[in-house]
Formats: sequence, C-alpha cells, structure tokens
Amino acid sequence: MAAEMALVKPISKFSSTPKFGNPRTFSYPKFTTIKMSATAQTTSSSKPKKKGNKGEIKDTLLTPRFYTTDFDEMETLFNTEINKNLNQSEFEALLQEFKTDYNQTHFVRNKEFKEAADKMQGPLRQIFVEFLERSCTAEFSGFLLYKELGRRLKKTNPVVAEIFSLMSRDEARHAGFLNKGLSDFNLALDLGFLTKARKYTFFKPKFIFYATYLSEKIGYWRYITIYRHLKENPEYQCYPIFNYFENWCQDENRHGDFFSALMKAQPQFLNDWKAKLWSRFFCLSVYVTMYLNDCQRTAFYEGIGLNTKEFDMHVIIETNRTTARIFPAVLDVENPEFKRKLDRMVVINEKLIAVGESDDNSLVKNFKRVPLVAALVSEILAAYLMPPIESGSVDLAEFEPQLVY
Amino acid sequence: MLSLAVGSSVSAMAKVSMHNTINYANGSGKSTATQLGFIKGSQPPPSLLSSATTNISTSFKTAVAAIDSSDLTSSPTPAKQEAKKYSFVVANAKFMLDEEEHFKELLFERLRNYGERNKEQDFWLVVEPKFLDKFPNITKRLKRPAVALVSTNDTWITFMKLRLDRVLSDSYEADTLEEALASNPTTIEFEKPENWVAPYSKYEYGWWEAFLPAGSRESKV
Repeated sequence: MAAEMALVKPISKFSSTPKFGNPRTFSYPKFTTIKMSATAQTTSSSKPKKKGNKGEIKDTLLTPRFYTTDFDEMETLFNTEINKNLNQSEFEALLQEFKTDYNQTHFVRNKEFKEAADKMQGPLRQIFVEFLERSCTAEFSGFLLYKELGRRLKKTNPVVAEIFSLMSRDEARHAGFLNKGLSDFNLALDLGFLTKARKYTFFKPKFIFYATYLSEKIGYWRYITIYRHLKENPEYQCYPIFNYFENWCQDENRHGDFFSALMKAQPQFLNDWKAKLWSRFFCLSVYVTMYLNDCQRTAFYEGIGLNTKEFDMHVIIETNRTTARIFPAVLDVENPEFKRKLDRMVVINEKLIAVGESDDNSLVKNFKRVPLVAALVSEILAAYLMPPIESGSVDLAEFEPQLVY
Repeated sequence: MLSLAVGSSVSAMAKVSMHNTINYANGSGKSTATQLGFIKGSQPPPSLLSSATTNISTSFKTAVAAIDSSDLTSSPTPAKQEAKKYSFVVANAKFMLDEEEHFKELLFERLRNYGERNKEQDFWLVVEPKFLDKFPNITKRLKRPAVALVSTNDTWITFMKLRLDRVLSDSYEADTLEEALASNPTTIEFEKPENWVAPYSKYEYGWWEAFLPAGSRESKV
C-alpha cells in the first residue's frame, strides 16, 4: 500500500475514521479487527531501534492501518486448477517486471539528508517527522500484507505468490528508507513492535483489491506530482527524500498494475452492479479521506510550495482517470460540484475537530457532534449518489470492437 | 518559524498561479495556430519544427517493399535468415506521446535500467509504422497519426498492454531491424491542453525522440 497516503494517513479511510463520520453508516460490511499471528518477520527495515526520545507514537498519528484478509479465499481465487480464467500471461509479464528490480540501487542515502534535517526547525520539522512516520507505517503495512500473501499463495499460484513477495521487497525497501529518514531527526519507528502491537483491519479479498489498487495508484500520483513540482521549483526542496520520488513511485504504479491484473482475473469483482457500487464507494472513501486529511495539514503542502486543495484535486482527477481503466464505474470528480462537496466536508470536519478540542465534557461534545456528523454523512452520501461514469478495461468491455484507438 | 512558513506558502501560491497563467497563454497561442492550420506558411515555434518530421532513409523503403503484405504474423520464408518476432502496442500519437505521461516515465526508467546493466536496447517508438499495413483490422480502428511501441520482448509488451489498456496489440516478424521499424514521414502536432491545472508543466514536446529508431533520428537534422 505503499506510498499511498503516505504523506497523509493511508487508506485508513475505510475503517472507522471518526473524524469524518463512520463510513459504516452507509452500508458497510462488518469489519472485524483481528490479529494476524506473527506474519512476516520484520526485515532489515525494522533494524533501527529507538534511539532518542521516541516513545510510542500516538495512534491517531499512525492511522495507516495494517490489513489482513481471508487467506483461504485468496488461495481459492488464485488456484489455477479451480480458476481456469486466470490470465497467467499478464502475471508472468508482471513477474518479469518485478524481477527486473528497477530500483535495486536507487535508495542510497547521502549526507545531505542529515544536513537538511538539522536545518529544519520549528513547526516544519514536526510536520516532516509526522510525514515520515506516516509514510513509513503505510509502506510497512504494505510489506506485511504482501509478504503474507506471498507466503500463503506459494502452493496454489507460485507466479502470483512471487509477485507478492517482490512487492513486499519494494515496500520493505521504501519503509526502511523512510525509517532512515527518521534517524536524521533522531527518531526511529520500532517496526517489530508495530507488527505485534498494531491492530489489523480485516478486508475480504475483493475489498483488498479495490483498496490496494487505489492506494497504490493514488500513491503514484501524489509522489510524481510532488516530484515534478519540486523539480520545477527547487527552492522548496527542503529535504532530499523528494529527489527519490520519481523512481520510487514507479514501484507504486506497478503494484497498482498488479492489482489491476488480479481484478481482471476475477471478472466477477468487476462486472455487475454491485461491483459498480463498491467501486464508487472505494473511490469516494479514498478521495474524501485524503482531502480531509490533507486539509488538516496544509502547512506541509504549503511548506513545499503547493496549494493543498489544488494539489489534492489534481491527484484525485488523475487517480480517477487511471482507475477508470479498470473499475467498472468511477466518480464524476471533474464535475465542479464534486469539489464543492469536498470543500463543504472540510468545513464540517473542521467544526468537528473544534468540538473535540473544546473544554466541554464528553457528553456535551457528543451532543454537539450529532448534527455535524449528520451533515457530513449527508454530504458524503450526496457525493456518492452523483451520477457516476461508466468505465473499465477495454479488455473486458463489450463495446470494445467499436472502439477507435 | 511559523511566520516564515506562512510567508513561503504565500509566495508558493503566487508562483503556482503565475505558472499556470503562463501555461494558459502558451496553450491558447498554440491551439490558435493549430486552428488556423499550423505550418501553413506560418513558422511554427522552433521546438515544433525541430522534431516535427520523421524522415526515413530510402533503404528503409526498399526493405519494406519486400514484405508480403497479405501475411500477418508468421511464416517468413525460411531462406531469410533469423527473422525475428516483434511485438507491439499501438494507438494514436496523442494518446501515446502527449496524454500518457507515465508512459514516458516508464520508457526512460527502462532505458536507464538497460544502461545500468549494459543491455542492448530492444524497444522503440515508431511513428506511423509501415508494418501497420499488414494489420487492416487494426488500422481501421486507429486514429492517425499512430505511434507504436515495438519490442522483441513479447512479455514486456504484454505488461505495457496491461498498463496502457487503451491500445491495440499484436506481433509480426521481420528480417532486419530497419525493416521492422520502418515508418512513414509524418508530422506530429498536439494542441496544448486548454485547462492544464497540474502544479507542474507537461513533459517537453519531443521527449520520444530518444526512442525512435536510429535511422529516423539521424535523418531528421
């Protein structure tokens, strides 16, 4: 799940994020939070131990969730004997790409990191630390999930299993790199501890596909946008990690392609009305969460010279265009009404946060929250119900023979 | 420190919006030129001129004349030595070279990787490829000018089809690289997007020249 919401909080979105109302309020399956028993061992990325004054990070900070899924169902889905539809050629092509390992030698640090970190003081420093922590946790959560899937699918589908393992390699690399970044600030995430201590959010495989696809693709768009912006405006380049984003985010993009292939191999997740409703739901969850999160952290984006809302809308529009190549339906995010709705959600969300920070007792707070949550839910619902855009891969489209390329 | 951050944010925003304005101006300027029929007498900007045409050396043409156009994918005459299989994805030039900016990133990433590992390049971009003549079922569904990504690595082309999605894919055989990558001289021109809102500018026109077959690159100057 990669870079994904890295800069923000990752895809925590689908699970309960009280800040913008509980998504469960609009038709969500029951999520159980279960523990994944000692999954992958922590890799090299977990090496750095607590150095300085780093205690545990507040849960709110780490909102990047850890995911687990129904591994038995996954095994069945990718069993080549049960499922004859599997387009192994796409998986083999992806495997070749992952084996190529384009970024094998990319993540090499230099002394500029520490120097830049030392120069960074005050609020910006704090924001950066938060950014590194979130990003690291997000990458690491991807590592854990992919690693376990790689392990579990080995027997039924070695090709798919190996891809998962290679993707976990990428994620471990990214997480390790970010954790080294934290050491520039005299901090470190104890990833071994995280593995055991954090709660795991359970998703059925189908939801893992939608969610991780989106989080990888949106991660790509966030990183490439920041990279290209900073390349043209180097005066905002306050920490060298952004220099690595261009190659880095190609990993994210490829990970997304893999989920695209997984979904194409399971057309039942793409071709009915339920799939369309879920597609829209996941798009909305991801976009809204990112928008609300980023709007709480404008200092970070402004610190690197971006206008938060413009940046987010760009990322949302591009992610949506990309997603339209596979999801059977996407949101009409280019309709100006969509952004107006997002902006109203930001205002409501700010009021909600203000209530939380007020001195009222919890009863009064909850009382004050009710109308706000209701307002937020109704905005979200209205956005969900906006006329969608039919979409999907041309490989699955009935109208394909009429298409002109 | 806080005030510093705010200050820089304001200038940042100013910068961004200024940037956009410039882009718009550029954009409208160019698209007007296009509506008027660019290149009709009027001088296109030098950046367009330099790479607008893809000329093919005459030797290419002779080579192509030898292809049996009714035969689509296979059975080269055994006499010809080492006919190689070339796989491709193809779509209109606007899609391939202008809209899909991640495509450019992928190609340069691959080129970098080949350089690092001393691998010989086995993928090219071909503008208006001659081999398309062998694929009437593709050409009738193709907006022109068309651009193909061609490679001897069939597996990689499968990946590129997955990534690009909105492309047609097939393969053919050819005896020589020149023959395989022969193209028709064509002018490529794109209107600047009307509403470019990204906080960065588009990749520069002509980025694809690094991937054109050597022959068509040299002959241009």
